[in-house]
Amino acid sequence: MRSKPLMMLALPLASILCVLSLSGCKKAAAVVTPEQAFGVYDTEPDWNDSTKLISLGYQQSQGKRVFYQYCVWCHADATPAGPSNRSNLTPVPPLMNDGEKVNGESDEYMQNIIALGGSALGKSAMMPPYGKTLSAEEITAVIAFSRAIAQPPYQKPGRPGSQYTGKQ
Amino acid sequence: MPPEDMGKLSDKLRLTFAVSTVICVLALAISPLKDFRAEWKHYKRWFVKYAQGRPDTKKLLADYSPSIDQVWLPGMNVTDRCTTCHQGIAQPSLSDASVPQPFRAHPPIPHNVRDWGCSICHRGQGPATEVAEAHETTLAWEQPILPAHFLQASCGSCHQTDLKETPQLARGRELLTHLNCQACHKLNNLDRPTLGPDLSSIGYKLTREWIYKWLKEPRTILDKDGNATVNGYENEDEPRMPKFRLKEDEIRALSAFLSAQKAKPIEKYKINPAVVAAWSKKPDLLSQGELRFRQMMCTTCHSLAVTRAGETKMIGGNIGPELTKVGSKVNEEWLVAWLWNPKGYLEHSNMPRYGWSDEDLYKVSQYVMNKLTDTDLLTNVPQLGAATEDEVKTGKRLFAEKGCASCHALSGIAPQKDFGPDLTALGAKNASELEFSKAKIEHNLVSYLQAKLQDPASVNPAARMPQYNWEQADLDAVTTALLSQTGPAPTSALQHLVVPRKDASFQPVGTFAEIYERYKCYACHRFNGYGGTLAPDLSYEGSRAQKKWIADFLKNPQTIRPTLILRMPQFNMSDKDAAITAEYLSIAVQKPGVDPESVDSRQFSPAMISMGKQLYEVKYQCQSCHTIGGTGGYVGPNLNNAGNWLTPGWIEAWLRNPQALQPDTIEPRRNLTEDEIRALTAYLMTLRTGIQAQTTKSAARAHLLVQGAGR
Repeated sequence: MRSKPLMMLALPLASILCVLSLSGCKKAAAVVTPEQAFGVYDTEPDWNDSTKLISLGYQQSQGKRVFYQYCVWCHADATPAGPSNRSNLTPVPPLMNDGEKVNGESDEYMQNIIALGGSALGKSAMMPPYGKTLSAEEITAVIAFSRAIAQPPYQKPGRPGSQYTGKQ
Repeated sequence: MPPEDMGKLSDKLRLTFAVSTVICVLALAISPLKDFRAEWKHYKRWFVKYAQGRPDTKKLLADYSPSIDQVWLPGMNVTDRCTTCHQGIAQPSLSDASVPQPFRAHPPIPHNVRDWGCSICHRGQGPATEVAEAHETTLAWEQPILPAHFLQASCGSCHQTDLKETPQLARGRELLTHLNCQACHKLNNLDRPTLGPDLSSIGYKLTREWIYKWLKEPRTILDKDGNATVNGYENEDEPRMPKFRLKEDEIRALSAFLSAQKAKPIEKYKINPAVVAAWSKKPDLLSQGELRFRQMMCTTCHSLAVTRAGETKMIGGNIGPELTKVGSKVNEEWLVAWLWNPKGYLEHSNMPRYGWSDEDLYKVSQYVMNKLTDTDLLTNVPQLGAATEDEVKTGKRLFAEKGCASCHALSGIAPQKDFGPDLTALGAKNASELEFSKAKIEHNLVSYLQAKLQDPASVNPAARMPQYNWEQADLDAVTTALLSQTGPAPTSALQHLVVPRKDASFQPVGTFAEIYERYKCYACHRFNGYGGTLAPDLSYEGSRAQKKWIADFLKNPQTIRPTLILRMPQFNMSDKDAAITAEYLSIAVQKPGVDPESVDSRQFSPAMISMGKQLYEVKYQCQSCHTIGGTGGYVGPNLNNAGNWLTPGWIEAWLRNPQALQPDTIEPRRNLTEDEIRALTAYLMTLRTGIQAQTTKSAARAHLLVQGAGR
């Protein structure tokens, strides 16, 4: 049969066509990751090294806003108005980025001390309760912000026996 | 063809048929294969695999379907297939940063994705099912996704009032207003800008040489190496006058034209010659002038460059112009007339009219003319001589051509409206609608806006827009505010959701209206949303403060908050004016629901007072933020004089719910019982020790002043 060699020609032709059309979609799939392309929502200078910027997501940046309105006066060494009230207080309140003091506390503990105040948890009454002033979202956000700026960096506690133990 | 061959197929035809059948079958196979390999299906399969590797598989896969997911909101013009790949956006357990994209949960926001879709805020192509098409600019779609850093712009498209959650947008809007962008451009929902100075009589105030210098380099300072830094100090208080790209002959012509503007003769004020004679010979004239300049709180509104330890810093406010070199700028006769009555020269000025004594006026004007100077200011300016008629004519033409009349009033020249392009729909423009010229930047709206703002000539060599000097944060803020100008909403459903800007106004009546206008209270204070933000909001002052305290404060202002610097000037107000103001404020500016008379302070018993003291000091430890006596915190106001300052009705309402009275106050709302509230109020009302040491000193000073003024 004369048809055979022609068939032999047609097959690779078709497969080339096929490969070409497939490679078209492969090319489109090669895109940059969203983080690289679309940037971050907000940034906060590192409290220990002002040239270093910490990138913040939406929730953390809302926490930053709450922090600089309500918490900064006693939980930072510099405030938007200048002097800090921190040195006036005994016991001295922890800095919000002090990982050594704050990293060990669970999110639930942080929520409680912000919402109920120091006296409810057997700590100094100098820390007033903000549960009726801030919404639950705002409290979660401010905790997320303090986790983001913590030095040494905060690591999520891992669940023992699970494969989802904290990232290193 | 022979008849016997009819109906028989030739080998050639057979072959063609076979080949085309094979090709056809293969071509048909491509489509399902392509579909199987579609990008979104890859993410679908990945998500199943990812969920199966987690303990909460069942919950994650409860809504799973292998087809395309979409949010379809016909009324809002939304068809968003983003959730096809972003399958975890509503799964709280996927909120951790270690979850790979596109599966991470959306951070909690006030809007529900099911009701709003994604592209209303994030832009991009909603119906696309490929990563690149959804996120980037393609040939058919020129609205790429909005970078997260500028996302607040989307909030601003509907929320025309400022939200506390969007500080970057609010700052951008503030800058657009402050820099007067609306003078040339049409923009949505921004306050009417304050204009640049009226130039109708500028010839009385300035010399032609100074105008020449200013046009060439608006604000110049020499750094320690003697290099001129053009366009201001490196701080946020930039001059509002931007740098226009003017040629030498244009500057000459404009300076000639402006120095010939003398529309309305200034009202000269003659200082008593006896005062001049007595003071002009005193060696401490200038230092006394400086002292009065400081005592009168001129730096609340005006800034001065101060060099300390080799570092030049701007000290002072930015409500009025910077004054470091003003003595080399203005004419002395003009200065005295201006200080005496600012309104006589400039109708819309924010400068208050002080109750000057001749002595003070002489001392301060001498200090300004002789100390706030720079002998080198005009060294590089050529001798321009008298203005020729030709120059004046050219200057007048240029004044109109360059758009000066957009910001500056000048008698005889009509203000130009919409001198620059309409920007109300700028934020929704496609990249192909923009002119990039030869600029080597990415062809998208965000990079265009940033390039244009930084150097207008880079994207359009013929741009008339002047040059601004931005800090990165401000550049980003203005970009955000411009991106939020997306024009009218695309559908009526969205139009309905726009939150309009509230109209703020405060129009006092009667004698107080005249006092309010004379002392320009609104330059610093805010009343019902109208006015400045430098000083406390006085919208509810009548409910908060006692009438007598207001009158005393006006005569002798003091700071109440320990960390604040006293900024309120002493206006040498007459007793009558102070009394009228106190009367007006305590009657007209009240918080509804707070009755200053609701609590009778006579019912406070000593037991209540001691209980209040106990609550203050031990149970609630208010001293962490408030000062009484010499001890306590710096955060809240000093309560030493609370009994004379606050009304008991206000204290009770405040303790019940501070945010109801002042929404952004940081004082926390606590669970106080009515008894505790009453006891704390009773205790606070006993605090009347005041700030006596200071009061005596300033009272003596005020007394001397009044004597000096001969009143």
